[in-house]
Amino acid sequence: MDNKEVVLLKKALERQKKARKQAERILEDKSKELYDVTHHLRESNQKLENLLSEKTSELDGIFINIIDPYVVMDLQFNVINMNRSAKEFLGFDHLEKVVNLSQFIHPDFLAYTQESMSSMMEVGSLKNYRAKIILDGGVEKWIQINASLVYDKNQRPIAAQGIIRDISQETEVKRLVAEQKAQLDIIVENSPLGIVLSVDGEILKTNNTFLEMLGYNEKELKNVSFKSISQPEKVKGGIYSIDEMCAGKLDKFTEVWRFNKKDGTTIMGKTMMSAIHDDHRKTDYQVAIIEDISHQLEADRKLKASENRLSALISNLQTGVLLEDENGKVALTNQMFCNIFNIKNTPKNLIGVDCEESEKENKKLFKNPDNFVTRIEEILAKKEPVLADELEMLDGRVLARDFIPIDNDGDYKGHLWAYHDITISKNYRKNLEAQREKYGSIIANMNLGLVEVDNDDIIQMVNQSFCNMSGYESKYLIGKVASKVVRFKDGGIIEKKNKNRLGGISESYEVEVVDKNDNVKHWLISGAPRYDDTGSVIGSIGIHLDITDQKELELQKERLLKDLENSNQGLQEYAHIVSHDLKSPLRSISALATWLSDDYKDVLDESGRQNLDLMQEKVASMDKLIHGILEYSTANSSALDDSKVNLNEVITDIGETIYIPEHVKLVIPKPLPTIMADRIKVHQVFQNIIGNAVVHIEREEGLVEVLCKDDGEFWQFTISDNGVGIPEEYHKKIFDIFQSIGNNERSTGIGLSIVKKIVDRYQGNVWVDSAVGEGTQFHFTIKKHHN
Amino acid sequence: MKGIVFTEFLEMVESEFGLETVDNIIEKSNLPSEGIYTSVATYEFNEMVALITQLSKEVDLPAGDLIYAFGLYLFSSLKNAHPEVIQNYKSPIGLLYSIEDHIHVHVKKLYPEAELPTFKILEKTDTSISMIYSSSRGLYRLAHGLIEKAFEHFNGKADISYELLKEDGTEVKFDVVQNG
Repeated sequence: MDNKEVVLLKKALERQKKARKQAERILEDKSKELYDVTHHLRESNQKLENLLSEKTSELDGIFINIIDPYVVMDLQFNVINMNRSAKEFLGFDHLEKVVNLSQFIHPDFLAYTQESMSSMMEVGSLKNYRAKIILDGGVEKWIQINASLVYDKNQRPIAAQGIIRDISQETEVKRLVAEQKAQLDIIVENSPLGIVLSVDGEILKTNNTFLEMLGYNEKELKNVSFKSISQPEKVKGGIYSIDEMCAGKLDKFTEVWRFNKKDGTTIMGKTMMSAIHDDHRKTDYQVAIIEDISHQLEADRKLKASENRLSALISNLQTGVLLEDENGKVALTNQMFCNIFNIKNTPKNLIGVDCEESEKENKKLFKNPDNFVTRIEEILAKKEPVLADELEMLDGRVLARDFIPIDNDGDYKGHLWAYHDITISKNYRKNLEAQREKYGSIIANMNLGLVEVDNDDIIQMVNQSFCNMSGYESKYLIGKVASKVVRFKDGGIIEKKNKNRLGGISESYEVEVVDKNDNVKHWLISGAPRYDDTGSVIGSIGIHLDITDQKELELQKERLLKDLENSNQGLQEYAHIVSHDLKSPLRSISALATWLSDDYKDVLDESGRQNLDLMQEKVASMDKLIHGILEYSTANSSALDDSKVNLNEVITDIGETIYIPEHVKLVIPKPLPTIMADRIKVHQVFQNIIGNAVVHIEREEGLVEVLCKDDGEFWQFTISDNGVGIPEEYHKKIFDIFQSIGNNERSTGIGLSIVKKIVDRYQGNVWVDSAVGEGTQFHFTIKKHHN
Repeated sequence: MKGIVFTEFLEMVESEFGLETVDNIIEKSNLPSEGIYTSVATYEFNEMVALITQLSKEVDLPAGDLIYAFGLYLFSSLKNAHPEVIQNYKSPIGLLYSIEDHIHVHVKKLYPEAELPTFKILEKTDTSISMIYSSSRGLYRLAHGLIEKAFEHFNGKADISYELLKEDGTEVKFDVVQNG
C-alpha cells in the first residue's frame, strides 16, 4: 500500500465515520419521537377507560329493580349489564359468558333492527321496536323494546339500555283476529249484494258493493239514516218497517226500496233486513242486505214495451191474422183480417168471440163455402202447419192461408191463421206464364234457328227450326259441342266468335255448313252473349237464318254479271273492228273519188262533178257515223277517270275547237264550277250539245249561253240558245240513237244519245225545253258524288 | 436528494474508476457536506450535479452516459436494499406500471420528505408501456438505466425509446416494448 492510497483510505474512512454518526443521530431523534407518540397514546387510552367504567357504575343500580327484563349493551350489541328478569327471559348470565344480543334476532328482522339502531343513534331513543327473537332451544318469541342511548361525559354515545317486553301471546291473538277479520272482510267485500250494518236505522258500516251501488264513499254514509237515502216503494198505513224493527217489534222483513244515488239518480233495491239482538232481546244492530234490482225491473219494462210493439206490428200487418186460443176463441186479430172478411167490428171487440161462429159467417164469401168449412175442420183435426192454402172468393179475390199451431213444450196452446190477399200476384203469375208460353211458341215456331250454348260451346237449347236446318233432332243436339256437331267449312270460326261473346260482343256473320245429309248450306248467324243475374257472360245465343237460296241467287247474279261484262267487252271490240274495217274502204272510196275528180275534171260534165262531190259528202257523212258509233260504244264502257275539271276551261276549249258560225256567240254569263268528273266525258257532253246549238241558229245574232245551278246533290247545267227550236214531238226522241230532226246531212243522230249515256253514268238526267222559232234549253244534271 | 443516491453513486464511482477518482471529485466539487453521506439523510441536489459534472470532466465521458450507467447500477443496489418490493411483481411492465401507485407510496412512508419524479402512464398492454417521466431534476437517463435493468432482472429485454417533450429533460416520453 503506497502512501497515497493510505491517505485516500484514511479520508474515505473519516467520511464513513462521520456519515455513521450522522445516521446514528438521525435514528436517535426518530426513536425519541416514537417514544413520545406512544406515551401520549397510552395516556388517552387510560382516560377513556376511566370514563367508561365511571359511567357504567353510575348506571348500575338504577334499573336493577325493574321487573321487566332490562339490558345494557354497548353499541356492538355486547351485553354490559342485565337484571335478573332479563337473565331469566333470555336464559343466560352476562357475568358467566360474553353475549352479543344480535345473535338472538330472527333473520327476518335484521334489516329492521339495523334501521331501528341507526334511528336511535340519531334521536337518542327507540320506541316500540317489535321483533322476533330466537332463544336457546329454538324458541321464538315476539318482543317489544323501548330503549335509549347512554352517553359519556362528552355527550358521545357509548351504550344503549332497553326494557324488553314479551308480546308473543298478544301478537298471536292479534294475528288470529286479523286473519278472521280478513276472511270476513273478503266475504263481505266480495259479495254481489250490498251489506249494511246499522244501529237504530243509522248506518254504521257498509261494504264496497253498497258504496259502488250508490256512488258514495264510506265517510259520506257514516251515521246517515236509511230514511234519508232511501224510501220503501210501498208503505202500509204510514208505518215504516224499519221503525218497527228498531222498536223491537219486527225481526225480519223484505221490501223493495228506492235508493237515492249520489249523482241524483235512483236505483231499486230489494232490501232484506234482519235485527240482531243482544241477550236482553233489545235490538242492537240491523243488518240489511240489498240487491240492485233496477235492471230486472228495467228488463220487465222492456218486455212489456216489446209486447206492445209486437201487437202494434201485428195490427198493422198486411196479412190478416187470427190467433185462436185452445178453446176456439179469438185471442188476437188485426184490422187486415177484418178488411179481408168485410167485418165491421174492430179487432179489439173480436177478442173472445167464438171462431166457429165467425166461420159460418165468413164462408159465404167464398166460391165454395162448404169446402172452406171442411178444410178448416180437416186442418184443425191434424193440427199440423199448413202453408199457402189457396182460397177463391166470390168477388174474385184469391187468398192464401197459413195455419200454424202454437204449442208450448208439446202443450197445444191454440193456433194462428194468417190470410194473404194474393190476387194480384196470382194474376201476375198467370200473365207471366201466358207471356212465356207466347214467346216460347214464337221461338219454337219461328223460321230462325235458335241455339243457346254455354261458355264451353255446349248446346243448352235449340228450337225446332234449328233442328230442321241442321237435320238433327234436338235430343241429339243438346249436350253436344255445337262446333263439333255442326260441320262448318271454316272450322275455326265458331271458336273465334265465341271468344267475342265472352268479350260481350254481338255480331252477325255468314258461314258455310254441311248438314246431316251432306248438303252445303249458307247460314247467317247473329250471335249475342248470354248473361246471368250478376251480369257475367255464361254463354251465347245464336240465331241462324238459312240463306242458302239467297246465296245461290247472289252467286247466279254474279255469274250473269260476269257474262254480261264479257259480252259487253266482245261487243265493244266488235264495234272497234267494224268501225275500223268500215273506215278504210271509205277512205279508199274518198281517195278514188278525189282522184277521179282531179284526173277527169276536164272530161266530166257539171253533173258528173256534182255527183262526185255528193259522193265525197256521203263518204264524209258515213265516216262521221262510224266515228259516232265508236264513241257511243265507248261512252258506256270505258272507266270513268274522275279528276277536278274546271268547266270554264272546258267550254273555252270547245269554243276554240268546234266550228261556230260567225253570227253566233258562245257565252258563260257566270263562272262555272270545278267538278269531280271524267274530263273527256264531260267535254263530250258539252261539245255535243253546244255543237248542235250553234249550227241551228238562223237569227242574225245567235247566242248560246252555258249556265249552272247547284241543286244540292246534283249540279244542273243548262245550254240555252235562241235558235230554231225543236218541235215537241222530238223532245224525247232526240236522245235515242240515230234520231235527228229533219234531213240535216251533218247530223248523225248519235251525239245526243252519247250525251244521255254519259249523263246516265253520272246518275243524272237530261231533258229539253224548247219552243220552235224561239230557242232551246238543254238541261242535264250530274251527281256530285257519284259511284 | 436522498442520501442513498449519493452513497450508491460514490460506490459506483469507486468500483468503476477507483478510490482516487472518488476523492478527486469530492475534493474538486467543493461540497457543503464535504462528501459525507448517509443513506437515511437528505442532501442538496446541487451536490449531485457537482459530483456528476466533476466526474464527467475527470473521466472525460458525457454526463448523460454516466447518469445512465448509474441508473443501471442503482437498480441492483435498490433491489438488494428492498428485495420485497420487487418480489411483488411478476413482470417488468407490471413493475413500471406500479411505480407511482405502489413503489413511490412505500418510499413516502419511509421518507415523507422525499421528492420523487412522476410517471404518467399513457398506454399499457401486456408487452408494452408508454409513459411520461417528469421531474425538476431532469434525470431521465437515470430512469432509462433503471428501466432497462428492471427488464434484465425479469430475464427480459426491451426496446426503450424516449422523446424529450421539454428540452431540459424535465418531461420525457418513454416507449417501452418488451421483446423477449
